[in-house]
Amino acid sequence: MNLYLFQVVNGIGLGMIYFLISVGLSIIFGLLNFVNFAHGAFYLLGAYLSYTAVSITGNYWLALIVAPLCIAFFAWVCERTLIKRVYHLPHTYQILVTLGVALIIQEVCISIWGPIGKSISPPDSLKGVLQIGDFYYPQYRLFVIAFAAVVALLVWLLLDKTKFGALVRAGSEDAETVSLLGTHTHRLFSITFALGVGLAGLAGVLAAPIKGIHPFVGPEVLGIAFVVVVIGGMGSFTGALVGGLIVGIVQSVMSTLWPQGASLMIYGAMAFVILLRPYGLFGRA
Amino acid sequence: MINKYLKHTALAFSITAASCVAMAQEDAVTIYGVKSLSGSFASYGKYADMGSKLAVEQYGQVLGKTPSYKAIDTEGNAGKALRKVQEAISQNSAKFFDGGTLSSTSLAIGKEVHKSGGVFITPAGADELTGVDCNASTFRWSVPTYGAIRETVIPLLKEHPEKKRWYTITPQYVFGEALLSNAKTVFDELGIEHVGNSYHSLQEQEFSGYVTNAMAAQPDVLLLLNFGSQSSNALRQAINFGLKNQMTILLTWSSGLDQFQELGADITENVYFGAQYWHSVDTPLNNKLVKEVKEAYGITPNYPLAADYISTKLLLDAIVEAGTTTPGDVIKALEGKSYEGPTGTETVRAADHQVLKNYYLLKGKSASEMKNADDFAEIVSYGKSFPDESSLECKGM
Repeated sequence: MNLYLFQVVNGIGLGMIYFLISVGLSIIFGLLNFVNFAHGAFYLLGAYLSYTAVSITGNYWLALIVAPLCIAFFAWVCERTLIKRVYHLPHTYQILVTLGVALIIQEVCISIWGPIGKSISPPDSLKGVLQIGDFYYPQYRLFVIAFAAVVALLVWLLLDKTKFGALVRAGSEDAETVSLLGTHTHRLFSITFALGVGLAGLAGVLAAPIKGIHPFVGPEVLGIAFVVVVIGGMGSFTGALVGGLIVGIVQSVMSTLWPQGASLMIYGAMAFVILLRPYGLFGRA
Repeated sequence: MINKYLKHTALAFSITAASCVAMAQEDAVTIYGVKSLSGSFASYGKYADMGSKLAVEQYGQVLGKTPSYKAIDTEGNAGKALRKVQEAISQNSAKFFDGGTLSSTSLAIGKEVHKSGGVFITPAGADELTGVDCNASTFRWSVPTYGAIRETVIPLLKEHPEKKRWYTITPQYVFGEALLSNAKTVFDELGIEHVGNSYHSLQEQEFSGYVTNAMAAQPDVLLLLNFGSQSSNALRQAINFGLKNQMTILLTWSSGLDQFQELGADITENVYFGAQYWHSVDTPLNNKLVKEVKEAYGITPNYPLAADYISTKLLLDAIVEAGTTTPGDVIKALEGKSYEGPTGTETVRAADHQVLKNYYLLKGKSASEMKNADDFAEIVSYGKSFPDESSLECKGM
C-alpha cells in the first residue's frame, strides 16, 4: 500500500481518538456555554482509574466500563458543589475555577500514583497487528476506531433524537423558559456536565494503552481538544468529529511530508480554518 | 633551655590556635541541589533530590562540621532555576551546587555559578556543558552523546552483525542532532546503511506517523534517539505497531530503571536500551548504594538518584580533600580526581571537567525471566568511550 494512503488510514484512526478526547469539551461548551479547562485532567483521572482497575482485576473491559462511570459521577459531584456556582459568571472566572480543579486533580494523581508514568497493555484479544501489504496496523487501534464510531452514533442519537437531548438544547438557549415549563434545568445541566466529562474519562481509558499515562498529560490533551473544537466549531458535535479527523489526518500525513513540522501543522490547519470560517467549520456566530 | 622550650610551646600553641580560628571561620558546607521538584520533570527531580539528600546525610563531618543540604526547585524551567540560583548566591553566599537534570537549566546555571566563582556538578545531557560552553566551575557526570552512541551501536552490531540497515527517529534540537551526528559517524565506520530518518519536534507525543515511515523503509534496526516521555511514547507505539517482530529496536539514551517501570516488561522485553547507570552493576560503591537506598527509602536506586548521589558525594570529597571551602581549591581537587563511583572507577578529566565513566547496553527481559520487581534487564556490554583530548571543543578552562 502507498505510504501516503497508509498515513491517511492512520490519520483516521488518530482522528477518532482526537474526536473522543474533544467531544466532551464541545458538548459542555455548546450546551452549557461553559469553558472547562479541567477537561484534560478528567481524561488523566480516567486513565489512572483504568490503570488501577486493570492492576487489581487484570480485566481491561471492566476498566472500560467502570472508570468512565466513576469519572462521570465525580464530575456530577463537582458540578453540584462547585461548577454550578460559576455558570452565570464570565468565562474568565470559569477558566480560573476549572484550572484550579485541573491542578488539584493533577497533584492528587501524583500523590496517589507517583510521578513516574504508567502503562496498560491492550487486552490479550486485541494485542496483535493486522497486516495490510507491507504495513501493519495494531488491532487495538482498529478497535478504538470502531468503538469511537459507536460512541459518536450513540451520543448523536442521545442529543438529537431523544427528549433529553431536546431539553438540553432548549435549556442551553433559554434555561428560564425551559424551567417554567416544568423541567429541572439544574439537574439537566448536571447530567450534561457529567456526560461530557465522562466522555473525557472514556477517552483516557481508551488512549492509555496507546499513549501511556503520565501525570502531566492533561495540558497536552486540553490543547488538542481545543484545536479540534475550534476547527469543528465550538459546541458542534459534527464539528468535533470532522475536526478530529482533520487534525489526525494532517498530523499523520505531515509526519511523512514534513516530519519536524507535523505537530506545528495541526495549528496551521486551525489557523487556516479560522481565516476561512472564524466560527469553525460547523460553528454558529 | 627553658626559654627555648617556652618558645616552641608558644609557637605550637599559636599554630594550633590559628588553625582552630581558621576552622571556626569556615562555615558549615551547604550543598544546593538544583532539582525539578515540581512541573513536568518532577519525576526526575524527586529521585535526584533523594540522592543528594542521602549523600549529605551519610557523609559525616566536612571540615569539622556537619554539612547541610538545601533543595532549589527549578519547576522544570531554566529561567526560574536561574533566578533562584542567583538568589541563593546573593542572599546565602551559596558556592556549591549540583543537579539540574535538564540541559537548558544546567547550561544556564553553569554560567551563573561560574560568574560567581562557585562549583557545579551536573548529570545533564547537553554536550556543550563540557564542550563549547564549558567553564572552570562546571563538571559533568553523565557520558556525552559520543559515548552513548558508541557504547550502544557498536556492541549491538557485534551481537547482530547481519543487521546492517538502520532507521533513526530523532528529536530536532541540539541533543537529538548530536546523537544523530555521532550515529552517522559510527554508521560510516561500520558500513551500516542509514536507510532513513524521521525528525520530530520537541513537543511531539504521537509517533504513529513516524513509526509508519520506519516500517516503509524496512530496516533491520530502529534506533530511537529521543529521550524521556518522547522515547517512551515512540517505543510504546512502535511495539503497538508490531515493529518488535520485524526489527531490532535500540533506545540509545534511556532514563534507566524509571523508564522500565513506566513501560513494563511487556514493552521492554527484547528491546535494547542505552543507560548511564543500572542498579545491578557489581561495584563496591554501587552495592553499598543499593543497600543504603533500600534501607533509607525502600526502593531500588534509579539513574537520577544515583547520578545526584555521586555528584553530591564527589563535591563533598573534593572539599575535604582541598581542606577548604574556597571554590578554586575545590576545583583543583576535582580536576584529575579518580574515585570509586557507582559504575566502577571514574575519573574527572581536567581538560574539560567531564567524568570518564562506563555507559551500558541493556536488553529487556521477559516478565518470566525477572528475578524481582526491578530486574527488568540484563547488561549486554559496557565501556568508556570519550573523544580524545586533542579533539575537545572545550577551550574555556
